[in-house]
Amino acid sequence: MAKVSFRSVWKKYGELAAVKDLNIECADGTFLSILGPSGCGKSSTMRMIAGLEHISAGDILFDDQRINDMAPRDRDVAMVFENYALYPHKTVFENMANPLKLRGQSTDRIRERVNAAANLLEIGQLLRRRPQELSGGQKQRVAIGRAIVREPKLFLFDEPIAHLDAKLRAHMRGEIKHMQRTLGTTMIYVTHDQLEAMSMADLIAVMHDGELQQLGTPREVYNQPVNAWVAGFVGEPAMNFLTCEVQARRDDVLLTHSNFALPLLPQQVQRLNGHAAGPVRMGVRPDGLSITMRKPSEPVITGEIFVNELLGGDMIVDVQLADARIRVKTAPEFEGVPGEACYVTVNREKWHAFDVENGRAFF
Amino acid sequence: MASREVVHYETPITKALRWFSVAFIIVYLIWTLLPILVMFASSFKDLLEAFKIPAVGDWAGIGVFFEFTPTLKHYNDLFANLNFSSYILNSLVAAGGSAVISVVLGSMAAYSLSRISFKGKNDLFFWIISTRMAPAVAVMVPLYSIFRSLDLVGTLPGLILAYTTFNLPFAIWILKGFFDNVPYAIEEAQMVDGATRPQALMAILPLVAPGIGAFIVLCILFAWNDFLFAAIIGSGGAKTLPVATRELVQPQNIQWGSIMAAGVVTTVPMMLLGLVIRKYLVTGLTMGAVKE
Repeated sequence: MAKVSFRSVWKKYGELAAVKDLNIECADGTFLSILGPSGCGKSSTMRMIAGLEHISAGDILFDDQRINDMAPRDRDVAMVFENYALYPHKTVFENMANPLKLRGQSTDRIRERVNAAANLLEIGQLLRRRPQELSGGQKQRVAIGRAIVREPKLFLFDEPIAHLDAKLRAHMRGEIKHMQRTLGTTMIYVTHDQLEAMSMADLIAVMHDGELQQLGTPREVYNQPVNAWVAGFVGEPAMNFLTCEVQARRDDVLLTHSNFALPLLPQQVQRLNGHAAGPVRMGVRPDGLSITMRKPSEPVITGEIFVNELLGGDMIVDVQLADARIRVKTAPEFEGVPGEACYVTVNREKWHAFDVENGRAFF
Repeated sequence: MASREVVHYETPITKALRWFSVAFIIVYLIWTLLPILVMFASSFKDLLEAFKIPAVGDWAGIGVFFEFTPTLKHYNDLFANLNFSSYILNSLVAAGGSAVISVVLGSMAAYSLSRISFKGKNDLFFWIISTRMAPAVAVMVPLYSIFRSLDLVGTLPGLILAYTTFNLPFAIWILKGFFDNVPYAIEEAQMVDGATRPQALMAILPLVAPGIGAFIVLCILFAWNDFLFAAIIGSGGAKTLPVATRELVQPQNIQWGSIMAAGVVTTVPMMLLGLVIRKYLVTGLTMGAVKE
């Protein structure tokens, strides 16, 4: 088990910087998820930790020990690869025994550890098979098994469940999280799926274009995104963005749009901090909005229903405004019909305003 | 792997083509197998019997061909008087030696070319294979001159070196394809598991083994069947089977019996090798072709 620190880490491929000035502190036993779209530098980051890529600049430390120049075998990490990377000519048992064998453990100890890991992952009956005889989910368990037989300092999981079907993926999310809690080993988990990061991690590092955008707990990343990019990437369905104007009127500061003019809360006015007038990007998640067919007394957004999507337990309603479309989450009992006028109320505790220029969040 | 039904609808043209292909295969088989049959049969015949041929058009007389008392005297002659056992040894050492050297050096070079990217890699790779593009005859004279000054002419090491010169580029080219097909992640997994780089290479060797096995056979075949290098570089001290057989043709006297027996001795080992590793050879050579 180890604490992992990134100190101004860079990864450059020629002129191209894949990771730029990365600083992360990951406490011992933490489940850290590195989240970002493909090409954001998250896999490069993981490969630098594993020692499969050189670190172009900066340092990575395990428990305050610099590991930049250590070979992968000396770093005592265990990695699960996106394509599992099982040894096709070896049985499941031999695959899982490999790390122990390479470290010169006794046969008895190997058998004991492999059996223990196989029981934890419920693959005891597969030990004599070869990888090509396994299903995707089974292969993935074997790959995890190979990682956990050794009690390493650190687990590195590189999109391990990306190739499983949706149902199995949901199941494995819970299993991996439970396993990490049980073993208590520090885990760095790379994914492009914000749902995986949100549901499993203690700490999420959101990356975009090689830069760390935000480092925080899932709640922080979801509720207080630092910029419009993070706000738009995290959350499903995605956040609605509308370009609005800030206008001071009498004792209120209003956010105005051709479909509405809504007052900001006092603490939000404070956060605007001098940006007293001009355009901002307003962002609000579909669950920060509610929709009704009868006009309520409070100030609302007026629009027209574009389409309804029933998602079983929820319904998403697309509402057409003058120049944009927003999505509202509501109960499946909602009875609006496409084409009808509707009224959308904003939970102003949950809306955000971002700088139009650089996307930075005011609140 | 989905199996697929080949849908087939007969038309007069396809029917005619089918008959034609059957006829073609029959002619082809006679064309290729008959000489081998004659060689085998004649090697066990006395010379007088070997030249008994029925008159043209006398199809009933074809039985003459099979009427003989088998004799091993040609084989006896080959090993007792003509020193063929040492020629077989020369052939084995030259073919096996160059095959092993080519595959060992070739797989290391192929591995590096497959895994490491460096400046000018493609040019280097092309240069390696371009050495195979010139016909062997074209390099023969300079090669002979070089070997001569190094005292390698007429020695087995010289012959092995000559074969290796030709087998090695081919080995690198083919084996690189096999290594390219092994996902790099497998080695990375090995290294994270605690392997050193050489250990990681050893760990993936079983995955390219069919390819390496098939390639060893191709190298052996090339060297075993070669006449040109053997006649020029190996002449004298390192005589191999094809050269020794050729020398049985003398101006006054063509020793047909011994030639036939020598042909059998040269052919049989390679045929057996082919049969034994046939399945292996096919998987090995197609391994690079189909991506799983």
